[in-house]
Amino acid sequence: MAERAVVPSSPAPTARPAPARKRRTSLVDRRTVLSAAIAGGVGVGVARLLPWHRVVEVDPPELTKQALATRSALDWVSPLGDEATRVAHLLRRTSFGYTAAELESAVSDGYRRTVDRLIETPPAEPPALAGADEASAAKPLRLQALAQWWVDWMMKTPTPFAEHMTLFWHGHFTSDFQKVGLQDPYLYWQDRTWRRFFHSDLKTMLTQVTIDPAMLRYLDLATSSGRAPNENYSRELMELFTLGVGHYTEDDVKAAAKGLAGWRFPLTKAMIDAQVANVIKRTGKPPKFTPKPDAVKTGIFVPARAYKGPAFTYLGETKAWTPEAVLDKILEQDSLAPFLTQKLLTDLVATDVDDSTVTRIADRFRKSGYDTKTLMSDVLTSDEFASAKAYRALVKSPTEAMVSAAKALQAPQLSRLIVNSGQGMGQLLFDPPTVGGWPDNASWISSTSMLARINFVTSALAQMKQVPSAASAHAQFLDSTLGPQTLAYLDATTDDRRRWAAVLSSAEFQLK
Amino acid sequence: MATEVGVNKINRRDFLRAGLVFGAGAAGLAAGYAAVPDVFTRAVYAAKKDGVSNDRVLVMVQLAGGNDGLQTVMPLRSSTYRDMRPQLSKAVDSALPLDTDWGLNKELGGIKKLYDQGKVAVVQGVGYPDPSESHFDSIRVWETGDPTRRQIDGWLGKTIAQNYDSAGHPLVGCACGTTAVPGALRDLQATLTVINGQQSFKFYGGDEMERAAGALYTSTPGIYGALFDTAVATARDTVAQLRTSAAKYVPKAAYDDKVRLVYASKNQLGAALQLAAELIVSGAGPKILHVTLGGFDTHFTEKDRHDSLMAYLDTAISAFHQDLAAHGMSDRVLIATWSEFGRRPRENASAGTDHGTVAPVFLIGDPVKGGLYGEGPDLTKLDGAGNPIYSTDFRSVYQEILASHLVVDPREVLDQTFEKLSLVKPPALAATTP
Repeated sequence: MAERAVVPSSPAPTARPAPARKRRTSLVDRRTVLSAAIAGGVGVGVARLLPWHRVVEVDPPELTKQALATRSALDWVSPLGDEATRVAHLLRRTSFGYTAAELESAVSDGYRRTVDRLIETPPAEPPALAGADEASAAKPLRLQALAQWWVDWMMKTPTPFAEHMTLFWHGHFTSDFQKVGLQDPYLYWQDRTWRRFFHSDLKTMLTQVTIDPAMLRYLDLATSSGRAPNENYSRELMELFTLGVGHYTEDDVKAAAKGLAGWRFPLTKAMIDAQVANVIKRTGKPPKFTPKPDAVKTGIFVPARAYKGPAFTYLGETKAWTPEAVLDKILEQDSLAPFLTQKLLTDLVATDVDDSTVTRIADRFRKSGYDTKTLMSDVLTSDEFASAKAYRALVKSPTEAMVSAAKALQAPQLSRLIVNSGQGMGQLLFDPPTVGGWPDNASWISSTSMLARINFVTSALAQMKQVPSAASAHAQFLDSTLGPQTLAYLDATTDDRRRWAAVLSSAEFQLK
Repeated sequence: MATEVGVNKINRRDFLRAGLVFGAGAAGLAAGYAAVPDVFTRAVYAAKKDGVSNDRVLVMVQLAGGNDGLQTVMPLRSSTYRDMRPQLSKAVDSALPLDTDWGLNKELGGIKKLYDQGKVAVVQGVGYPDPSESHFDSIRVWETGDPTRRQIDGWLGKTIAQNYDSAGHPLVGCACGTTAVPGALRDLQATLTVINGQQSFKFYGGDEMERAAGALYTSTPGIYGALFDTAVATARDTVAQLRTSAAKYVPKAAYDDKVRLVYASKNQLGAALQLAAELIVSGAGPKILHVTLGGFDTHFTEKDRHDSLMAYLDTAISAFHQDLAAHGMSDRVLIATWSEFGRRPRENASAGTDHGTVAPVFLIGDPVKGGLYGEGPDLTKLDGAGNPIYSTDFRSVYQEILASHLVVDPREVLDQTFEKLSLVKPPALAATTP
């Protein structure tokens, strides 16, 4: 049997010269064992030996000041040279994790085919949420049902990358239920619209974002008129959605607010019926005027509410601006492609991808006509994506951590617990903390959020009458790349529930 | 005084030598804390530097989203104000006058009562040069105390790191009612805790899960390793402390988060302040606490929304002060509000207001020298964006809080010296500023 790696008894001081990074400390071919583990033929005895304890001392010159202050004296050794592990890495980053069977199937497809499948398959639409299209003041959406509908689909969908990207766009083109409200179908519609961004282009997306009814309310564009423009949407459109601070002026914010104004909300029959019933209840008779339902699920342009004054200057150009012209002007800006590319790289690869990579991918993104498939494909097939530097360089969001845990446990029934537990970790779906979306990585780690993550695992296991075997969980879900304490703990633990508790609440599992 | 200084000089290592157990991962932690007499628990936190020894506590209340200063402290006789705000200025008629020119929003009745008792300083026209109208930019400026945006560490985090021994005492700096560390408290050299709610702050699996977490999160590798380990160790320390503190605290005021369903506030301010009171009263040793009330980004139909936020703020702060006073602790605690910016004087077509610049800061509590300070916004002299120009730099307020309330050296936190304000009575037993 393989021998145990030597575990340093205490972290080495960083001043000590770091040895060359060792690729492997195991005598066993890792791939063989991983495949064997996936096939389910490995018993507890073998799994407990955990021969691939991969940590080395840190190489200080590579580190920024912040990393130096927070990192431990040990670092992960990337196992991404191995294709099966690279596939697991790919699924963690793109797909809310995987079940053992999904991993096995993707490993047998290989890395390149898995990337193609993830990107090329059009997004599968979730089934309709009962009653959501008919939401009204009389029968509002229920936040719990809406969130659970989405989490259920995160677990069941055949196109999980599309769900990952839907959550990405939800955190980018933010809206929250507190301001949008639940008295109409708008948030439900927005989730469905953002999912279609998976295969789209920026011009289409920015148009749809601008006239999305939930967005019209969240950033007040529906109450903005040419006569008295509201700057909220104009500012966030440029600062947070497209260009980034520093690439426009305060005058541009005021100008775009004028150019974008003139929208109203679409009305459904259910919304109108509820309004009429409300008037009858209050006054005893029906309203004098009843609007007709709209045929579309987007904002409706009302020319009378748009700006009608003289030509004005926006981003250096003076003319009569329409909403479409404002968006076209944004699409011409040089900072747009790098801004979005950087954001996606930070979500999928690492927080410190070098500028030349950002520029390379951003250039192709712009030249493709801002095609989302080109962008996603370039990110996933970049050398940086599977580089040693990217390994465990990102922290799973609470939703990712919980859905991956439920998938690992093959327990889709945990969706309700997932929805109820997100808030304690800082992520309630449909309620990002600010218009800037959710924080990421280090910001997810606090005393209270770590307690909530560990408590989620305890509650999840308590809800399950039976748990799958945990014998190879460390291989399937932690790449057999373990820190000294996780290694020691698992080595001393044979009980399935305790092993699952340790695997799913470990630091290794919180990373992606 | 001699005794006080002597007690305060006992530091963490002394307790360790005496056989009491502190710090992460110690199984006997709860017992260790329970065995420490109250006066020691408090003193142990204030011992990093000679001279920085008093029992003052600072509670920062963030009004997130940009609080409309002109609807908080209203100009009573300004026709410019009425012209610029045809809808919103109606609130003037019911304002609570502070003097002949300025009045508080009618919902701030509790704070007005404290003002009349000389326990509220209202500093008007607070802002900074070259103001940003971006929420995130401006929040960062206020959090770091640096309008040039070069600093990363928060001003409160720095204060803790430089003056208090927070290792193993996570409650020295604590954010209540949230799940993430607020930027103002961030500092890599300081240990902080974040408590969303005290009821849920425990390990569900009991001792076994707590021990497992402690075992797993030790010398975790990688760039997040130390952060993970510290977070879990801090959680364990805090669980132990709350176990003992909850038993010692019974609220003596009614905290109410059901005032009204407050629009988009995101946080339960009442619950967060009740937790702050528990930590202070039970002797858990907090020096700097941070709570947040959100929802102030009132771009549309502002009047009712802003009024309910004011009512919520007023109720929560009044209860907090009353509770502290009933426990005989109100002479130690300073409450200070902050917001990233005020709002544009001219109202928009949605009967709301867009992002602006200056706003008033409130300092509330027994240590305060009450009154109306600074110059109110001059609506006849606006900048190019239509916003008033600041008259008091926000760092002057920070400087006063640091120097007179916490009695630490403000230059170590703010790097520079600012116009001196005199808003807070220094603690009677404080040593002089080093």
